[in-house]
Amino acid sequence: MDFEFTPEEERFYQEVREFLGKVVTEGLVKENEANVGWGPYTWEFVRKIGERGWVAPAMPKEYGGMGASHIQRFIIHDELLYHRAIPPTMLCGAGIVAPTLMLYGSEEQKREFIPRIARGEIEIALGYTEPQAGSDLANVDIRAVEDGGDFVMNGQKVFNTGCHYAQYVWLLAKTDPGAVKKHRGLSLFIVDLKTRGITVRPLWTMDGERTNEVFYDDVRVPKKNLVGEKNRGFYYITTALAFERNFPIGFLRRNFEELVAYCKETKRNGEPLCKDPLVRQNLAQLKVEVEVGHLLACRVAWLADKEIIPEWQAPMIKAFGTELMHRIGNAGIQILGLYGQLSRDSKWAPLKGRMEYLYRHASRRMISAGTNDIMRNVIATRGLGLPR
Amino acid sequence: MDFELNEKQEMLKKTARGFLENECPTSLVREMEEDERGYSPELWRKMAELGWMGLVLPEKYGGMGGNFLDLTVLLEEMGRALVPAPFLPTVVCGLVVLDAGNEEQKHLFLPKIAGGEIIMAFALTEPSASYDASGVTVGAVSTGDDYVINGTKLFVPDAHVADYLLCVTRTRDDGSEEDGITLFLVDGKSSGISYTLLKTIASDRQCEVNFENVRVPQQSMLGELDRGWQVVAKVLEQAALAQCALMLGGAQRVLEMTVAYAKERIQFDKPIGSFQAIHHKCANMATDVDGARYIIYQAAWKLSQGMPCSLEISMAKAWTSEAYRRVCVEGQQIHGGVGIIKVHDMQLYFRRAKAAEVAFGDARFHREVVAREMGL
Repeated sequence: MDFEFTPEEERFYQEVREFLGKVVTEGLVKENEANVGWGPYTWEFVRKIGERGWVAPAMPKEYGGMGASHIQRFIIHDELLYHRAIPPTMLCGAGIVAPTLMLYGSEEQKREFIPRIARGEIEIALGYTEPQAGSDLANVDIRAVEDGGDFVMNGQKVFNTGCHYAQYVWLLAKTDPGAVKKHRGLSLFIVDLKTRGITVRPLWTMDGERTNEVFYDDVRVPKKNLVGEKNRGFYYITTALAFERNFPIGFLRRNFEELVAYCKETKRNGEPLCKDPLVRQNLAQLKVEVEVGHLLACRVAWLADKEIIPEWQAPMIKAFGTELMHRIGNAGIQILGLYGQLSRDSKWAPLKGRMEYLYRHASRRMISAGTNDIMRNVIATRGLGLPR
Repeated sequence: MDFELNEKQEMLKKTARGFLENECPTSLVREMEEDERGYSPELWRKMAELGWMGLVLPEKYGGMGGNFLDLTVLLEEMGRALVPAPFLPTVVCGLVVLDAGNEEQKHLFLPKIAGGEIIMAFALTEPSASYDASGVTVGAVSTGDDYVINGTKLFVPDAHVADYLLCVTRTRDDGSEEDGITLFLVDGKSSGISYTLLKTIASDRQCEVNFENVRVPQQSMLGELDRGWQVVAKVLEQAALAQCALMLGGAQRVLEMTVAYAKERIQFDKPIGSFQAIHHKCANMATDVDGARYIIYQAAWKLSQGMPCSLEISMAKAWTSEAYRRVCVEGQQIHGGVGIIKVHDMQLYFRRAKAAEVAFGDARFHREVVAREMGL
C-alpha cells in the first residue's frame, strides 16, 4: 500500500498548483460562480491550460493531450475544482466526447474535434435527457430519420446544460423506433448548435445555473456526424466512459477549508466560533468525511490506471461526494446561523455567501449525472451482485 | 498510490482467513460467551504457533519483524471471525514494552509475548471512564524499594486471565494532569489484586480490577517515573487503530452476510435483494465499509512508515465507530426477524459493534482530537 503520490506525481501536482495559482483570476472565479456558463474569462482560461495539454490530458499528444495517466488527470481535475477555475460540472467535451470518439469515432471525427476540444477552442454540450427520459435514459424519444446524406432530427431535450455556449451538442437520438429493446435503437451524433431548426431556451435552476430546453425542428445533420455505428449509441455512452468517471472533491475541500478558516477567525459572543464544542464536532466530522471522499476518489483513479473498470467505485464517490457537498453546505449554514442564509449579493454575507450557494448547488449535483439512487442501484447490482 | 496489499500481506490474510474459518467458527465464539475465561487456550496456542502474537515484534525478541500495516491485515481477519482472545491487549502491551521498556524488560517480556506464553492486560481506565490523563487516579506510592498501588481500574479487558497488567498509575498529583503518571508491569497474581467480571453488551471479558496495597518492585516500572503519559498517549492511538481494524473485519463480514441473505431470501416471489430499498441499504453499507477500509489503512500505512498520524488515527476511529454501527443496524434490518435471534450470527456482530464503538474513544472523543489536530 501507499497513500501518497509518487515523487513524479507530486512534482506534477506542484506544477499544476503553481500554474493555476498564477492564471486563475478573480474575474474567472466570478464568472464561474455566476453559473451562466462559459464566458470570456473561461474561454481564455481553457485555451491557456489547453496549451499545456491539461484540458484533455488523457488524450495522446498528437490530439492535443499529454497522454496522461488517470492519476495525473485526477490531479488536474481536482486542482481545477479546488481553484474554482472551471464550473464544478466537468468539461463535457474533454471529459466525455473526446474519450468516446477515441474509441468509436471515425478518423475524420477524431481529427476534426479532439484537438479543438483539447486546445480549448470548442466545447461540446451533452444532449441526453428528455422530459420522459431521465434515469430511464434509454427512453429517449427524439427522432433521427435518414434522408439523403443527412439525418433529420425532431423532438425535444431538457436539462441540456451548456447548449447556450457550446458550439456542438453530443446528441442521443432514436434511429430505430421498432427496436425490441429501446436502448438498441439509439444513436449518437455530433450536432452543430448553429444548425437551422434548433431552439435553445433557458431553464434556470434554484442554484442559479442556466440549463436549457432544446427543441429540434427538422434539424439536418450530415451522416458523417453519426458517431460509430447506427443504433449503438446507448452502448457507447454506457461503456466508453468506464474509465473516465470520477468525482474529485477539490471543490468541496476548498469550501471546507474556507469554512474552517472562518470559524478560527470569527468571534461570536467574544469567543472564536471554533471554540464552540458543537462547531468543533461538526467541523471534525466533516474533516473525516472529506478525507474519506478524497480516498474514494483516489481509488477510482488508481483502479483506472490499473485498467480495472471502476464501474461501481465511481458511482460510490459520486453519491458520497455530492451528499457530502450537501452536508458541508448544511453545516456551514448552521454554523453561520442567521448569516448563513445570506446570498452572495448581500454585503453582510460571510464567506461570500458560498455556504448558502453550496447548499442549493448540492441539490442539483445529487440529481445530475445520474441520481444518487441510481448510483446506489449500480453499487448494489455491479458491486455487490444483487439481482435487479 | 497503491490501494492494494502486497503479496506477503495477501498471504497473511489468506492464511488467517483459512485458519480462523477452521479454528474459530462462531460456535466457538458463542461457547466463549459462556466461558468464564472468555477465550480458548487451545486456540491461543495455535495462534501463537502461527507467530501472530509476535507479528510486530522484532526478530531478536522472537517476533516476526512485521509492521503495523501487517498487524492491521491480521486484525481485520480476527475481527471478521470475532476471535475471542486477549490478543489486542497482549500485542499492544508488547508494543509498549518495546517502545518504553529497558533492555532487561524487553528480554523478559517480549519473547514470552511472541510465544504466546503470557497474556497482558492494559489497565488504564477507571470509574471516571475517561481516556484522558485526568482520569488516572489509581495511586502508586514509593516505599523505597517498592511501590504500593491502591485504587480501582474499570473496563479492563481480559485482566482476569492476564499474567501481567500494564497498570497506569498516578505517582504525583501536584503538576499538570499529564505529569506524574507512571506505568508498572504488575504480576496479575500479586496479592491485593482482585478481579470482578463486568457483564457487557458484547459478552466480552472486561473487568473491575481492585488494587489493595499491591506491592510492586521498583524494577517493574516501565519507562520513566512521572513521565508515563507520553507512552500512554501513543499506545492509546495504536490501540484505537487496532480496534478499528477489528471493526473493519466485522463490518465487512456483516456486509457479505447481508448481501448473501438478500440474494437467497424470497419474499413476494422474489429475492429481497432485487428490491431497490435493499439495494440502497446495501450500497450505503458498502460505502461505510470502503470508507473505513481506506481511512484505516491510510493511518496504518503512515504509522508503519513512521510518519505522524495522530490525525489519521482519530479520523479512522471517528468514522469506523459510526460506520460499523450503521452497517450492523442496516444489516439487521435486512435480515429481518432472523437477524435478532440468538442462534443467528448477526446479533453477535451487532452487540460487539457497540462495545467497539466506545472502546479507546468513541466518535465524539476522536472528533475532538481531530478538531485539535486541525488547530481549532
